[in-house]
Amino acid sequence: MNDAQTIAVEVIGIEQVTPQIKHFKLAAVAGGSLPVFSGGSHIIVVMQGADRIHKNPYSLLGSPQQLDTYEIGVRRMEESRGGSHFMHDRVVIGSRLEIAHPVNLFGLDKIARKHVLIAGGIGITPILAQLEDLHGGGVPYELHYSVRSAEHAAFLERLRRREGDRLHTYYDSEGQMIGFETLLATQPLGTHVYVCGPAGMINHVIATAKACGWPDSHIHWEQFSAPPVGDAFEVFLARSKISVQVPPDQSLLESIEAAGVEVPYLCRGGVCGFCHTRVLELDGDLIHNDHFLSEADKAKGNSIMPCVSRAHCKRLVLDL
Amino acid sequence: MLVTGIKSKPVYAPLQADTRGRYHLMLGMGVGAAPLLRVIFEMQSAAARVLKNTRVLYVPDGGSATPEIERFRAAAVGNAQTFPGTPALLEEFRSTLARSLMGTRLYVAGTESFIGLAMKIALEFNLNKDEIRAEECGTSARRVYCIHCRATTENVRTNIASCVGCGRWLLVRDHYSRRLAAYMGVMVDAEAPGELPPLKEMFL
Repeated sequence: MNDAQTIAVEVIGIEQVTPQIKHFKLAAVAGGSLPVFSGGSHIIVVMQGADRIHKNPYSLLGSPQQLDTYEIGVRRMEESRGGSHFMHDRVVIGSRLEIAHPVNLFGLDKIARKHVLIAGGIGITPILAQLEDLHGGGVPYELHYSVRSAEHAAFLERLRRREGDRLHTYYDSEGQMIGFETLLATQPLGTHVYVCGPAGMINHVIATAKACGWPDSHIHWEQFSAPPVGDAFEVFLARSKISVQVPPDQSLLESIEAAGVEVPYLCRGGVCGFCHTRVLELDGDLIHNDHFLSEADKAKGNSIMPCVSRAHCKRLVLDL
Repeated sequence: MLVTGIKSKPVYAPLQADTRGRYHLMLGMGVGAAPLLRVIFEMQSAAARVLKNTRVLYVPDGGSATPEIERFRAAAVGNAQTFPGTPALLEEFRSTLARSLMGTRLYVAGTESFIGLAMKIALEFNLNKDEIRAEECGTSARRVYCIHCRATTENVRTNIASCVGCGRWLLVRDHYSRRLAAYMGVMVDAEAPGELPPLKEMFL
């Protein structure tokens, strides 16, 4: 993916849906329909900040049947590297942004006999679009939505109206918790579970499902990591024969791109595996922050996902 | 040659216990009892608890001196049932799957036709390769689907076979359909009516 494939969009609606989440509606500047997508897809939003370009993945939460607008929900991150603050503070109705074509790394299983959807907080966004795909399909499903408190429950009215008693809400503030063990131990054969939310919740769902005997192929999850800040280091790109400095608050991928070298990517959040890059030399340790490499591959230390991972070293040499 | 080197020909591996599963459902016919008993013994040494959640559905072939049902009972599987034939077993299998929960593992041991018919039902319930294990034993006679009249001829042991539906002579291919649980049969003398290759026993 590169910027030649982006689509210019204009912000045509903004709504503050919880104290931390804003809901944006985007329409193509050129008019007409936006590209077709399926529930669970995300787009990369390219934001021209004051001193740098931000490229963040956001799930599409609107109906895949309505392509005149795309809808995204952006949570203002406390430890933002700039992207979510840009969306919250700088973007107004009429602002123009660039977006990449939708990609789905969190699609529904087409032959499942039942779907169990689990969302924590902002994790509701891809699930909203998945629900649109499920409406009228005849396959049973249920949604379990956990939030800090009622005021933090984004899109609750929309969900209540459309999902009725398929919606189960849980408020931390009232000590309500999803009973994962009971939920996952009692599902009929052919059920698929989908979870999006905080890392702790995702890991708990995966571990519980496996303990109940679920095979991996029935467990689906998505979590985009923001690239964590770290120490500055230098990377040498062996094929391009250039050295690039990676500052503490910029990701390895962003630094490489800023130097004019393109790396293929789809999610920029440590999930898709497209930016997988070979490590040729290293005088320190890799800090893996992705969800793509296995623990064994991480331990080998001979490859890295530059979108979210970095290194604690003086010099890193990559096969780029 | 039409009959070899086709990827859809199923490949089977010896059955092994998968103790990550919570429930274990076993289907067997005839000499398929032996691999199932092997898995049960494997589970006994792994975790006694697992056996409580194990169920065996079995079609005996009547040749064994000790009825297999006794061997399953002796192996401490309280929940073992025999059936007079494959259709009765598959009927019970289907209603069992409709009541089964996620965490179930399926083990099938028998002829390829038996495995194929069981897989066909398992697919309807969205079980996938992570949840199903199958070991082929006994005859390798094939179910053959006539691509001309859509009839299925059972127990085909020869390279060419006369279709039960339309009487055409069919060449039995390695092209296997999981949906139909059958090998594809195509008219062998369409180009030169009456010119048939020699009849050979191939699937014994």
